[in-house]
Amino acid sequence: MTSLGLGDNAHLFQANLEQRRRRSARFRRACSAFTWLGVGTLFVLLGQILYQGAAWLGWDFLTSFASRFPSRAGIFAALVGTLWLIVTTAAISIPVGVAAAIYLEEYAPRTRLTRFLELNISNLAGVPSIVYGLLGLAVFVRWLSLERSVISGALTMSVLILPVIVTAAREALRAVPPSLRDAALGVGATRWQCTWHHVIPQALPGILTGVILAISRVFGETAPLLVIGLPIFVSRTPSGLGDSFTVLPLQIYNWTQRPNHEFQNLAAAGIIVLLVVLLLTNLVAVVLRQRTETES
Amino acid sequence: MTDAAPGPTQPTEGRAGPDVQVEAAFTCRGLTLGYGDHVVVRDLDLEFPEKRITAIIGPSGCGKSTLVRTLNRMNDFIPSFTKAGTCLYRGVELYDPSLDPVLLRRQVGMVFQKPNPFPKTILQNVTWGPMINGYTGDLRELAVESLQKAALWGEVAARLDQPALSLSGGQQQRLCIARTLAMQPDVILMDEPCSSLDPVSTSRIEELMDSLRERYTIVIVTHNMQQAARISDLTAFLEGGDLVEFGDTDQIFTRPLYKRTEDYVTGRFG
Ligand SMILES: Nc1ncnc2c1ncn2[C@@H]1O[C@H](COP(=O)(O)OP(=O)(O)O)[C@@H](O)[C@H]1O
Ligand SMILES: [Mg+2]
Repeated sequence: MTSLGLGDNAHLFQANLEQRRRRSARFRRACSAFTWLGVGTLFVLLGQILYQGAAWLGWDFLTSFASRFPSRAGIFAALVGTLWLIVTTAAISIPVGVAAAIYLEEYAPRTRLTRFLELNISNLAGVPSIVYGLLGLAVFVRWLSLERSVISGALTMSVLILPVIVTAAREALRAVPPSLRDAALGVGATRWQCTWHHVIPQALPGILTGVILAISRVFGETAPLLVIGLPIFVSRTPSGLGDSFTVLPLQIYNWTQRPNHEFQNLAAAGIIVLLVVLLLTNLVAVVLRQRTETES
Repeated sequence: MTDAAPGPTQPTEGRAGPDVQVEAAFTCRGLTLGYGDHVVVRDLDLEFPEKRITAIIGPSGCGKSTLVRTLNRMNDFIPSFTKAGTCLYRGVELYDPSLDPVLLRRQVGMVFQKPNPFPKTILQNVTWGPMINGYTGDLRELAVESLQKAALWGEVAARLDQPALSLSGGQQQRLCIARTLAMQPDVILMDEPCSSLDPVSTSRIEELMDSLRERYTIVIVTHNMQQAARISDLTAFLEGGDLVEFGDTDQIFTRPLYKRTEDYVTGRFG
């Protein structure tokens, strides 16, 4: 090995380079193996679903209502219902969640009460979703008599994802450097001007990431809506917040429960539709986030 | 101010007042500052004269930042901050409930240790403060004027709409000074404004401060003895929570009254 002229004390260092390099390489191989294991499993599942469902996809499938006959059954009501649910849930949970995060981060005094609140919010994120379904059934469907409607479902889903939004938005707000607040307050801004003009724009990409994660969850949640008792056979799309509706995962779940083999294929086709809608929504959100990032 | 005569309980050190007879922008009397139970600055008596540059020197952690951040109430946002005694700004108690801290900060501007421009364009950095404070004149004109005063205009005239963060550290700090000047303040507080800058940028900021000397009351915290000696009219030396000595800069650096001051300004401390 060539000497790099390490000086008189070089003999005190046992570099052991060979072994360190081998370990490094082994670690890298392990990480890449696990990555491919995860991605590979996903691709096998996706392939299976595509194989099963692709033939059933088509304009008719997208625009038909549910039916007892597989060849006539479609996913229209569930697709439209999911979109209604997503939009309504977003409209409720984003303002409420972000406002709560801003209050807790920017305004709330550090009292025992706020610390208790904070602890609860992080714990709520871990509560099983079926519990939120029971809550939705008791409070929104029965007590507030909102029936099994879009608004009941959206309120239930909002309660479910609020902890995620609040926690993510708080992290994002906390990551805004204090020097930026100093700068704004130092030129005579009020707390509101400082927050609205500087802190929120700076935190927006982080907030959006949390919102994307939370909303993605709404696409796939089945249990709470099952508990609320959403119908599967809906022959109308909702035309208002008070109307009855169903969603994609419920429809898919229902089809998988049927003995008829063709319904299994319909379920696979439904999953493809669900994934595409989810992908498109996330795409929009990611583009939105990138735009806010490059703006600042 | 007429109550400068030390009472019987005054400490023996620390009240050799400066010779200049001018109005005080700030008058601190028995000012004690701290966080929770931790007292940082004890029983401080100090006047910051108008239209002068007053330097605050002292070892790290002696409360220099705490003191200057009290002067425009930036400490309001630290829940554990505590204050006793009085500090008057033009005869008005800083913490009087009738004094709006937002208005105070409009008149007592601040430049921070690390340049902290807004992540917006160069122009917006200067105009944002006046805009949100309802400035009725021409914002662009005001920005140009402020950038000229801050000796930055020549370098940014052609790129006003570029992001402020694309400027060098020294330029960013001068932009922050321009942002403060645009508010047309009475006082400019500077907390180690050059500590993250290279020597060339530092000397440009010192030249800039020299050009502002006549028009503004400036309070500057600095770790750099030569800087304090070069640019300030008066110097206050804080150590261990006490004001050790306060006087004309010349006197502090050439004929300090106390051994502690001499040791510090000549670099023989610790
Ligand atoms: N926000 C804070 N909360 C609690 N203690 C603080 C805070 N800021 C500063 N201190 C403490 O106050 C003392 C003085 O700090 P500071 O005023 O920043 O000193 P200097 O600017 O002279 O270096 C230090 O001991 C520091 O640890
Ligand atoms: Mg400091």
